[in-house]
Amino acid sequence: MRALLLGAVWIHLASSVLLVGALFLLLLAGPRTDATMRRWERSVVVRSRVLILIALVAGLVWLVARTAAFENRPGAALEPRAVWHAALDTWPGLVWLGRQGVLVVLAAFLWARVDVTARRDWVAARVQALGLGGLALGLASASSHAAASGPEAAWAIAVDASHVIATGLWVGGLPALALLLREASRDDDAGAHAAALGTARRFSHAALVAVLVLVASGSASAIAQVGSVAALAGTTHGHLLLAKLALLIPILALAAVNRVRLLPANAPGATRRLAAFVTLEALLALAVLAIAATMTLTTPARHAEPVWPFPFRLTLDGLDDVGRRRAVAASQIGLAAVVALLGAAILRRRRVPLLAGAATLAVVAAALGLPPLVLDAYPTTFRRPPVTYHATSIAAGMAVYAEHCASCHGADGAGVARTDLRSRSMARRHAGEIFWIVGRGIPERGMPAFESRLAESARWDVINFVRALGAATAATSLGPRIRTDDAWLAAPDFTIAVGPLAPGALRDYRGRRIVLLVVYTLPGSRERMTALARSYELLSVLGVEIVAVPARVTGHPIVELGAAPPVLFPVVTDGTAAIVATYGLFAPGPHAEVLIDRQGYVRAVWRNDASPADTSVVQAEVERLNAEKSPPPFPDDHVH
Amino acid sequence: MPLWQVVVVLNLTFAVGLGLGYAGWGRRVGALEREVTADRVRIERLEREREACAAGARAGEQQWEGRGLVRAVYPRLLVITHEQIQGLLPARTTGFAVPATTRAPRVGDAVRFSLRGTAPDDAAIVGIEGW
Repeated sequence: MRALLLGAVWIHLASSVLLVGALFLLLLAGPRTDATMRRWERSVVVRSRVLILIALVAGLVWLVARTAAFENRPGAALEPRAVWHAALDTWPGLVWLGRQGVLVVLAAFLWARVDVTARRDWVAARVQALGLGGLALGLASASSHAAASGPEAAWAIAVDASHVIATGLWVGGLPALALLLREASRDDDAGAHAAALGTARRFSHAALVAVLVLVASGSASAIAQVGSVAALAGTTHGHLLLAKLALLIPILALAAVNRVRLLPANAPGATRRLAAFVTLEALLALAVLAIAATMTLTTPARHAEPVWPFPFRLTLDGLDDVGRRRAVAASQIGLAAVVALLGAAILRRRRVPLLAGAATLAVVAAALGLPPLVLDAYPTTFRRPPVTYHATSIAAGMAVYAEHCASCHGADGAGVARTDLRSRSMARRHAGEIFWIVGRGIPERGMPAFESRLAESARWDVINFVRALGAATAATSLGPRIRTDDAWLAAPDFTIAVGPLAPGALRDYRGRRIVLLVVYTLPGSRERMTALARSYELLSVLGVEIVAVPARVTGHPIVELGAAPPVLFPVVTDGTAAIVATYGLFAPGPHAEVLIDRQGYVRAVWRNDASPADTSVVQAEVERLNAEKSPPPFPDDHVH
Repeated sequence: MPLWQVVVVLNLTFAVGLGLGYAGWGRRVGALEREVTADRVRIERLEREREACAAGARAGEQQWEGRGLVRAVYPRLLVITHEQIQGLLPARTTGFAVPATTRAPRVGDAVRFSLRGTAPDDAAIVGIEGW
């Protein structure tokens, strides 16, 4: 069924594109009276009618094949009610109805016997036909991947529509142009030959504009739907895009030869060769359309799980001083290579030595600058962790780590194994790479493989814990005073469960409230909790929510806090162990307080007995947070 | 009529028809949505009034049901961290008036409670029990 769907999409897309191109070329050629041109015009109109029929039939096949895919049973393709439902009750179905309707109107328009001898009538007929063809083609974007791009869908649809219409004007015009050039080169009619070449020149100018539109819109769509090198290199959608770009290279090369060499030659032999080259361009373009059709049925690269195909990757993250110096030096040498290359392009007499010099400099720059940027990589390098950076996961990972990893890596991650899990080199590693190493092990260093011993979720939990270990080491630089506009430490999320009420989460406060997380132990924290309870109203006005978590649960936490003064802020009663274990990495002690800004970053930490006696200290830091002008984006919910 | 004029008239008709159709359809959908929302609010209010049709209820009184955790107890006021109270309040901590005759719960108790009043501002607890 998928092959049928793919075939239908391709034939429908190709016939729609060729139709638009043919109608565009008719307009470019203008009203002609000579026999060759009129013969060509009639031939193009007849072919356009055939193309419309093909597009309509392929569209119908697409609808029934899509109905089967939609209903997930092949038999649905033959059930009128199911097809009717797919056409009327789904967005792609409604778009399909609109497009088929426009094509039917265009078919009626092309089939109607109308008198177009007057120039105005001829122009009106051609412009109307091209407008309807372009509308039918552009409407396809309304149910493409672009239409599913969330709040920016209107912009994405406009970009995609400009891409397909530019494709129609350029690629679609190639077969009609080849036909015109063949007709003109076959006859001895000098006027027809000149008219054909004139049309070809106009088409060449228009095609140049269309190619520029294609490059711009294609780049915008690639950024929106692919988004990263990993997605480009590691997904089916990305591979198809690369194949499409690879096929475009010979097409553009042929177009350049046609434009620069053959078109200005103005000789019958050159025109025949031009026709042959344009035909070749058109055939390659049909292959590109087949790839484009396949891409419409493939999950966009941005939403697919990339499988990194190379054993290495390049990164600028976390370079040490030596690496940074080498990278800077290499970039300067690379710049010199570019200057030499430009010199070779300008100074023709010294081209060879300059080219040789540019090549040598490029090799030196690569040899110097690339090695520090190279890191080992694995198929899962760019895999997105399915488990969020959450206290529950970190606490679970802590238990798994203690059982399986601590004997070699040490309880704090800096143990007997050669790798310090809290080091900068470890921070350069993507979570997906650590996942691969944990799963497959490093036999040469004696690290066992845990793929068969630990469930996938447990391995991700360990990775979250290792990341939290590194973050905790870095967090030692955080103290009771915030550093203005310097948010970098993502606060692990946690569940706020208060009694039987529906639980909330730390992330619910993002963009709304500053959170003061208080891990307390009674009776030592009694005085501080009393002060916080009394200041709650004031802190609340300043935009703060206090979340209290008992370090040890012996009874009912809210009852233990007592009724006077009333404690009105949330006191977590369930799942406290995970929060205490996780935030204990950042702020150990029987009493600790962590100030988390509105974006979800840890900004100040009061450890052990360093908690202020009165709340004015917290209030001062909150006021400094409120005065910040450039909040960073929310941290990712997953580790990298 | 020459073809170009036919084309112009057809396109204008198409554009005007599309515009008018879209505007009419959009206004109709908007009006229906407002109507549905107003009816839903009216039904919810009637349901609350029906629930309030108990002994001691005043005319036009509504009744709301809530669940929460008692955070503070005062002589005529209970402070409760509660879930969303349909038609009255979102989930938050609120102080509710409570008659002196009602048996006061203790701080930390999980409770179900009924509120009654002619408007959200004068809603007071009329019944409270363990959750």
